[in-house]
Amino acid sequence: MRAQTLNRATPYMFMAPAAIIMAIALLYPLGYMIYGSFRDWNPSQSIGESEFVGLKNYITLFFDPAFRESLSVTLTFAFAVVVAEMVIGVGLALLLDRNIRGMSVLRTLFILPMMIAPVVVGLMWRYMYHPTVGTFNTTLKSWGFDGIDWLGQNALLSVIIADVWQWTPFIFILALAALQSLPRSALEAARIDGATAWQQIIHIKLPLMMPVLIVTGLLRLIDAFKVLEVILVMTEGGPGLSTEIVALRISRTATEFRELGVAAAMSNYLLMLLLLLTVAMFAITRLQEARAQRAARQIQED
Amino acid sequence: MLKVLRQASLGVVSALALTTAALANPYEEYAGETLIVNFPAHPHFDAVMKILPEFTKETGIEVEVDQLPYLKMRERQTLELAQDEGEYDLIAYVVFSKADYVYADQLENLARYFMNPKLADPAYDADDLIDGYVYNIGFAGGNKGYLEGKTGSLFGIPYGSETSVLGYRKDIFDKHGLKVPETYEELLEIACKIPELEPGMGGLSSRAASGHHASHAFLLHLAPLGGRIFDDQWNPIVNNEAGVQAANALKTIVECGPEGAASFGFGEALGSFLNGDTAMFLDTTVVAGQINDPAKSQVVGKVGWAMHPMGVRRGSQTGGFGIGIPKNAENKEAAFLLMQWLTSKHGDKLVAMQGGNPSRFSTHADPDVNEKFPHMATFGEALKHADPDWRPIIPVWGKINADLGTTLSKVLTEDLDVQEALDGVAERTKAVMDEAGYYTWQ
Amino acid sequence: MQYERQNPAFYALLAALIFMSVGPILLMFVNSFKLDVDIIGGRTGLLFLPTIRNYETALCDVLWYEPDHLDFCSLKFGGAFINSLIIALASTVITLVIGCMAAYALVRFRFMGRDTISLSTLMVRMVPPAVLLVPVFGLWNNEFCIDKATMVGGWIRDTFGGRGDVCLAGTHSGIILVYVAMNLPFVIWILQSFIVQVPRSLEEAARVDGAGPFQVFFKIVLPLIKPGLAAAAIFTFRIAWNEYLLASALSDRNTKTVPILIVNNMSEFNVEWGVIMATGMLLAIPPIIFTLFASRQIITGMTAGAVKG
Repeated sequence: MRAQTLNRATPYMFMAPAAIIMAIALLYPLGYMIYGSFRDWNPSQSIGESEFVGLKNYITLFFDPAFRESLSVTLTFAFAVVVAEMVIGVGLALLLDRNIRGMSVLRTLFILPMMIAPVVVGLMWRYMYHPTVGTFNTTLKSWGFDGIDWLGQNALLSVIIADVWQWTPFIFILALAALQSLPRSALEAARIDGATAWQQIIHIKLPLMMPVLIVTGLLRLIDAFKVLEVILVMTEGGPGLSTEIVALRISRTATEFRELGVAAAMSNYLLMLLLLLTVAMFAITRLQEARAQRAARQIQED
Repeated sequence: MLKVLRQASLGVVSALALTTAALANPYEEYAGETLIVNFPAHPHFDAVMKILPEFTKETGIEVEVDQLPYLKMRERQTLELAQDEGEYDLIAYVVFSKADYVYADQLENLARYFMNPKLADPAYDADDLIDGYVYNIGFAGGNKGYLEGKTGSLFGIPYGSETSVLGYRKDIFDKHGLKVPETYEELLEIACKIPELEPGMGGLSSRAASGHHASHAFLLHLAPLGGRIFDDQWNPIVNNEAGVQAANALKTIVECGPEGAASFGFGEALGSFLNGDTAMFLDTTVVAGQINDPAKSQVVGKVGWAMHPMGVRRGSQTGGFGIGIPKNAENKEAAFLLMQWLTSKHGDKLVAMQGGNPSRFSTHADPDVNEKFPHMATFGEALKHADPDWRPIIPVWGKINADLGTTLSKVLTEDLDVQEALDGVAERTKAVMDEAGYYTWQ
Repeated sequence: MQYERQNPAFYALLAALIFMSVGPILLMFVNSFKLDVDIIGGRTGLLFLPTIRNYETALCDVLWYEPDHLDFCSLKFGGAFINSLIIALASTVITLVIGCMAAYALVRFRFMGRDTISLSTLMVRMVPPAVLLVPVFGLWNNEFCIDKATMVGGWIRDTFGGRGDVCLAGTHSGIILVYVAMNLPFVIWILQSFIVQVPRSLEEAARVDGAGPFQVFFKIVLPLIKPGLAAAAIFTFRIAWNEYLLASALSDRNTKTVPILIVNNMSEFNVEWGVIMATGMLLAIPPIIFTLFASRQIITGMTAGAVKG
């Protein structure tokens, strides 16, 4: 009898620590944030002292041009980096999918940028982009070109380039893994049929890799919304609002403008956006699984 | 022989003085206490760090410093001051934090300390403190709510008084026979002439990056050109003629400035001047130390100083920090002693000799200080014209400042029309002020 | 294994790629040995006199001698480094232990609420740190506190000093708690895919021999999923080691971590490039070492974490 209760309790005992920690340090704070987003709340008050203002924070934000701009900056940034990284990363994977000496060394060097702290990445690039002493402009000038105003006129582009530098290897490695796990038989068959390299890529490799690529892309997209430190260190959101992503605006609203309620509402908007993306990701994976199962069943029935 | 004797007797006298001092030592009661103070990462406070051991030696009071960048410092203080018991015994605050802290009743009124005969040093000579700064940084509750006046009282003491001065490259000015600009017209003219005379060199390097950098640069020009953010009824007038003129001045300066000027923060602007890429620098006095430091600067000895050029009036910035005692501090009296020591004639001179920004007239005139830093006399003169109402110090200023800064940055980088931009700022400012209740009596 | 020969253009491309990914890091490395005048003087190239002065400035609080060029030690890098180590290591260990147990339960047992938990674990993976900023700031400073008048609170104040109520904010544990919570979903997720591969028969055999569920878990399952654990450990460590935003909201002067120090040190009055690059280099060294020695595990972890989405 005792052994049986123990048995029944076992999964809960295994689960409990994780569940408790996530409840107090993740779910409760999220609830607290949603509660706070309906209040006029500044950092010198505790939440109990703040005043309930209903949907006011959400409405103000909705009509706030600065928030809208930072939302559009975020979306531009996220989609631009994902598209650029997918194209470059997958392209490189197709190109480098060969049996060469030292491939593992190569992969090791490629993942270095991702492992380094975003703060450090930001400062490296801020230095390289420096208008007069930075690496890029000194190089351009020594070649006889004009310097480019990287973090001024082209701030968003510069920030995107830095992110592409850091995260393309992620896509590259996953795409390479996907490529190398493709069924050799299909490729072999195509080669025997006389398909050119291009035809192989377009008709066989890419379609077969697609499921992995979609998930990878969505994963990267979600991560792109989390970027903050690199931009903070490089531009602090400027010039104007041109690189002020929502995450940065949340932190500024909370600390610089001292409006915790508004910052909470902003966080909630961001969260809803990400929730939408996550749900989309789930739906796609489920759909793929279903399709794969159906295909498998068909093969069996045949 | 005689000399040795004299020295010996001097030694005896000073030893005697020390013993008498030890007998009536106002610090004795607090010796051994440790004060926790919050200072910004800032050249003046770097100099302060060097003189603090001297304080400990003289008084026996230990000091532990938490140095933070100033925006960060404010964030930390917001949190600490709101607690029932705070960690900090003494804080340095930025001018515009004064409004928040005093309004939230978080700073000690200094009256009860200056009244206390055991604490107040009779030789303190408060009249020697530079007026504009005491009004701007120390007082609250008087005129406009944030300045001196019959209803005001003292909550802090200015420490590290900065104003704006014009630094210029003597060698470049001599080479082309240029006259040091005294008015805004001359300033702008020379600023744009320099890139023609010295290809590759910028005229004047100014901060201009989005946010408080851009708004600071704008405010620098606004006061001398006769503008203000608000009129006396708190109506925003930043978009009047003077405001437009100031924004245009900033725009011209950035256009004729060094490469990439539109994204310069303070550090980059200064870096460009230190590196010899720009001929003039119009900003705070704190930079003098770095300009003379061969490890950081390539223009050592080549820089001359002049007053902030005049528009329709003289009006250089009042910036810098004040020091005050939080209401929730643990060792308030010892903190007052530190505060008094730092801002006394003795402390002020010590910090000036280490490259800090003195806050007393007498220190600016002091021969030792002037011998070490020949620019000090000019700085002292400039301080007399410092404008205490240079920017409004009201609790909502942070928000208005941020809006002003981002909008101006758009003017500089995205070719937004100046008038249109400032109209927008004025309109949004009006809404902010309305919400904060400034129009209740109208 | 036979390696294919490639044409020279291919090797040129490889060289360019390697240069692009490692170049900025090397640049930082080189610059960290230059004086500020040399860095902002724009004198690029390798012709300069290397100096360890920047590292001396950064590490002045842990050096056994006092560097000549410093009047006082303003940068407490050594202390921050120790804080970072404590926080990153503790949160990695805790996350792994807890995450492993949870992943095991999710894979091996059927119980009420399993699907809900599994699903919500996945959902919270997307929560960005910025979203947690406001609530964590509020909770850790105001709600998650022990009154100092209570016994525990009084004891903590007597033992560790400090003032006011005892709150999670400003303590190592406060930051560790957030990091553990933030990393758990990911760790649970990748470990699940490793645990699934452990043959059930092994566990059953052990159980027949009379081992309890915990014994089975620690003696049979854990050793078998070592590669997964390594991958999860590296990822957790990396996030805890590199994170800035939440740490900066929660730490006080004694619990600052290295990223905070670096951002703080980019103070606008005085950008000391040399010192910043040196601190950046020091912060980057542990992850670089991990990468060089455990790149296989990292790649396994990445693929395992991503492929199943």
